[in-house]
Amino acid sequence: MSGCGTDSPGGSHSGERELTCEESLARVYEYLDGELDSGEHEAVKDHLEKCRQCYPHYDFERLFLDYVHELGAGEESRPGLEERVREMLAAEPG
Amino acid sequence: MSIPAEPRQREFEDEALIHLDALYGLALRLSGGDEPRAEDLVQEAVLKAYRAWDRFEVGTNCRAWLMTILRNTFINQFRQQKTRPSPVEFEQIAERPSSDALYDADPEGRIFDRMIDDQVIAAIDELPDEFRIAVVLSDLEGLSYQEVAELMGIPVGTVKSRLFRARKRLQERLYDYAVEMGYLK
Repeated sequence: MSGCGTDSPGGSHSGERELTCEESLARVYEYLDGELDSGEHEAVKDHLEKCRQCYPHYDFERLFLDYVHELGAGEESRPGLEERVREMLAAEPG
Repeated sequence: MSIPAEPRQREFEDEALIHLDALYGLALRLSGGDEPRAEDLVQEAVLKAYRAWDRFEVGTNCRAWLMTILRNTFINQFRQQKTRPSPVEFEQIAERPSSDALYDADPEGRIFDRMIDDQVIAAIDELPDEFRIAVVLSDLEGLSYQEVAELMGIPVGTVKSRLFRARKRLQERLYDYAVEMGYLK
């Protein structure tokens, strides 16, 4: 995560210690993955959504992950697979 | 072969085989696009499910139950077979500093609307095993870090770092594709 340019805190009003740009961007995936505890989640959110330098990085990663999530593992068909599975099951002792 | 299937087999087939394409889709992604390996995986998972069918509670989510069996089957195979393949590739992706070329070229992420899914799937398939499995389980299947860690038998911190590296590697591949396709200069 490069290009943040500054390490100054964003404008938090939560009363907790404000995170720096570096600290916030280091947690961007954990934040987007919903893996932070609620206090840290709020602190990171507060910074990323308000910091003019960090917001574009955060938004880009959000779009990227949305795209990959949307993709999913998907369904794929394989010719003859169902027949082979049925034969395998028929050969299994009841 | 016109012998009628046993009722138990028929019931299982009715409930389970409608999910075959989903199982094969997941098996393909976990095995990095290896079709014969993915079929073997599906067959083994379906057989396990059939043998355990009496323990399945009808009315609960059959698809989720089958997908869990398939994931567990894959991971067991992976852990048994994995002596130490692809160490060079693994080290490369683990150690190489990641670049933000895609962000620098397209910070607004317009490329994600133009990308062809097959290219992204190919990029996921090409990731070294440990990285691909983390991405498939977390990003495609929606498992939590803890769930991925338990399945893979690795610490949560390792899941985080593998996901970070794998996602950056994917972005680099998407950048290359985008340049090849003329979407980006």
